[in-house]
Amino acid sequence: MKLAVFVSDFKLACDTLERLNADKLGIIFVANGVYHATTKENGKSSSLLDKAPNLYALSEDIQTRGMKDEDVDKRVKVVNYSDVVDIIFNEYDKLAWI
Amino acid sequence: MGDVKLAFVVQKPQYKSETSRLAITHAISYQTVEILLEDGDIVTPTLCFVGEGVLGLQKGQKAMDLYGITSTETHIKNCLLVDLDVLVCKEDLAKYGIPEDMMPDAEDMGADKKIKVAPFSEIQKAMEDAKHVLFF
Repeated sequence: MKLAVFVSDFKLACDTLERLNADKLGIIFVANGVYHATTKENGKSSSLLDKAPNLYALSEDIQTRGMKDEDVDKRVKVVNYSDVVDIIFNEYDKLAWI
Repeated sequence: MGDVKLAFVVQKPQYKSETSRLAITHAISYQTVEILLEDGDIVTPTLCFVGEGVLGLQKGQKAMDLYGITSTETHIKNCLLVDLDVLVCKEDLAKYGIPEDMMPDAEDMGADKKIKVAPFSEIQKAMEDAKHVLFF
């Protein structure tokens, strides 16, 4: 299964993601989920950044919150809405929103 | 005559849900509540941001440009414009690596009031002094 997971919360997503298995797993950070990509807690990056090799964060939601695309962890690719559409249609079979 | 102190404590990040924003708009509207009080009574709200509530306060927000909605930054500026006390937890800003100078001000709107980055002990004191504490 090729699974793309939208993560839209900062704190609530980790436990569920721990249990998800996929041949190809992608995580798309949107809404408050973008803090996983931009913010370190006590100097430590979000553990979700170690969960999948394919990480994306929505630029519009980063900028809405007063942050810049440059603030994003280097492991995460900054994408716009158009990119997200391409990603979910072309690269994944299934989607989940947690 | 009395001073009814209210503490609005925001512990959730902005934007995902309405509750954290409601704290701000409710606090701004405090003056309208005075019509329900006894003559001479006043309401003094304090708006506090703690924990994840400090997320989404940074200046430079583009919510209006990108989504056509009023940004939290603008709401905070409106708070300062009506001389609301706004406290942001110093320890939690440090925890998330947010520089204190990223907090917005409303100088461009003519407000003298500024956000106060305060230790949690000061926010705790505001809660203790308040007659009502409202968590969002």
